[in-house]
Amino acid sequence: MRLLEFQAKRLLAQCGVSTPESILVRSQEDLKDISSFPVLLKAQVPVGGRGKAGGIRIATQMKEASQIVEELLNANIKSYPIQAVLAEEKVETTKELYLSVLIDSLTGVPLIMTSSAGGADIEEVAKENPEKITQKHLNSCTYPSDYVIRYLAKYTKLENKLEDFKRIIRQVYNAFQKYEAQMVEINPLALTPDGFVALDAKILLDDKAAYRHRDLVEKLQGEQKQLAKTNKTTAEQLAEKRGITYVTLGGDIGMISDGAGTGMLTLDLIYDAGGQPANFCELGGLAGAESMEQALEVVNKNTQVKVILIGLIGGLTRMDDVAEGILNYLKQYRHSKPLIIRMCGTGEEIGKAKLNEAGIEPFVDLEMAVHMAVQQASKGTSWQS
Amino acid sequence: MAILINENSHVLIQGITGEVGSFQAKTMQDYGTKIVAGVTPGKGSTAVYDIPVYDFVEEALQKHRVDAAISFVPARFAKDAALECIDGGIRFLVMTTEGIPDHDAMEIIHYATSKGSMILGPDTPGLISPGKSKLGVHPNRMFAEGRVGVLSKSGSLSYDICRVLTENGIGQSTVIGVGGGPIWGLSQKAILNMFEEDKETDTIVLLGEVGGTMEHEAAEFIKKCVNKSVVSMIVGRTAPKGSQMGHAGAIIEGSEGTADSKINALRNAGSFIARSPSEILEIIKSVRCIK
Repeated sequence: MRLLEFQAKRLLAQCGVSTPESILVRSQEDLKDISSFPVLLKAQVPVGGRGKAGGIRIATQMKEASQIVEELLNANIKSYPIQAVLAEEKVETTKELYLSVLIDSLTGVPLIMTSSAGGADIEEVAKENPEKITQKHLNSCTYPSDYVIRYLAKYTKLENKLEDFKRIIRQVYNAFQKYEAQMVEINPLALTPDGFVALDAKILLDDKAAYRHRDLVEKLQGEQKQLAKTNKTTAEQLAEKRGITYVTLGGDIGMISDGAGTGMLTLDLIYDAGGQPANFCELGGLAGAESMEQALEVVNKNTQVKVILIGLIGGLTRMDDVAEGILNYLKQYRHSKPLIIRMCGTGEEIGKAKLNEAGIEPFVDLEMAVHMAVQQASKGTSWQS
Repeated sequence: MAILINENSHVLIQGITGEVGSFQAKTMQDYGTKIVAGVTPGKGSTAVYDIPVYDFVEEALQKHRVDAAISFVPARFAKDAALECIDGGIRFLVMTTEGIPDHDAMEIIHYATSKGSMILGPDTPGLISPGKSKLGVHPNRMFAEGRVGVLSKSGSLSYDICRVLTENGIGQSTVIGVGGGPIWGLSQKAILNMFEEDKETDTIVLLGEVGGTMEHEAAEFIKKCVNKSVVSMIVGRTAPKGSQMGHAGAIIEGSEGTADSKINALRNAGSFIARSPSEILEIIKSVRCIK
């Protein structure tokens, strides 16, 4: 889960990190609590690059603040409607830095990154002047040692602020550990006469660990439900409700696979054959009859879909189980979009026999099934007609 | 001898009494894997398909020689099980479980490294050395004995490729899945190294996907240290930026994780590039003709 800025800052503040004074504004009414100007008005959307998209503004007096809030609350940023604005004290700073702690895939250990060139252009910096970003993998999974912090301080030119720097790094690292984050990023991190202040913050929480932080996650999700509305399609909403991996892609070939790798291959093959996938939908490595049935319901909800291609190659997933799911679905949805099925793998004899009984002859070869689906979609036929 | 396991490997199964564990125990046994023991807390002194079950790894180790283990333990208990395995001194553990919290996975891999054990996965289908042994969940019939080493991030993708290879008479030395990510024990680079040194492998197929930088590391390694022919395919070429395509690893951020950047890096490293299973087949056939 990607937290909204105000949520991330709240978690960091609980770990001792200084953040600017702020209030969350959801309507004009909330503005009356602003006590001093100038004030920053920041759109709360779960997406990066909002500053450049006009989502961060500054107001010098109430009337201006009111106008900006009116504008923002009626605007979208990268298709996310703005539901809330964070009104925040403008902090005077001498230096804007970058600080993040994340899980490094390549090494499987936490990685701390710092830079003296923080701010909205950090991605450019990473590309063009990578030497301006200092990285340190941690020598243990428990705590950043002193030498690690001294090293980062030296190359981030903060040796004269070492004690403050130690504090902020340990605070951020604690947050990373405590909330089991995949990433905690403060950018910019302001250097002020009173120490470091987090001007913006991004936290990615690991959904797989949510069960260990139930109260916290419930609260965060509740807030996001209210504040971070997206324009989700009915299929997307149903997929979310059922916990199914589903990504809308805009074409007319519905796609379901029983693995991420074979699913991505199927997408590529559909495009290469001149077709347009409507979605990506993956059952995960261990799927049963029920998840198959539910995935079909989700994909069939999309009215643009002309044909549904089901690519099954079972390892953990058993074909006898998913065949059952397909048949249950067909019983319920007699007017489903036509199905093209590729089936092989664990339990395929029984799975195929079940489909054959219902008059379905599954393919074995994925490329052949893809070609058939692309052909069908271009004809635009449907069982209903 | 293929890599990591062979026909003489003695295997322990963690989580053997669950629905998945017992089904896969049988499938592996049918394939010829020497499964000597199973472990499920609270189920000691029972048996699954004549495989003795113990409460603790330590108890199993008192009675049996164990060279490798495979875990089907649910995500919430997977860390505990892995630590028990590592503490027992088992040198190679395959973790099939999907959904293990990242911080748990980090801890497991860090601990394994410090104790000299290797972890494959998590979220991996495991590995199969056709005709010899299987430490994984692969559908048996898609594989045949041969000389192509296949390494893949995704299990399902490796089945797709091997099915086509096998049907066309091209067998495999070992087929191995790194895991869905975002954290891995054994990396593509480490496995490439094993294939390069394996006398029974002459061609390597590398199956990658969008997201992360593991294929860049693999490409660098291929350039410097791999003399065998490598055929690579990166899937998710057409996936939209910023969307997560099932695997936690498969999310494209910035320019590094794109399929294009990976394909270029691999091509520059001297690897052949394929776009579909049938292209992989064609390339392997033509590489063999030249040889």
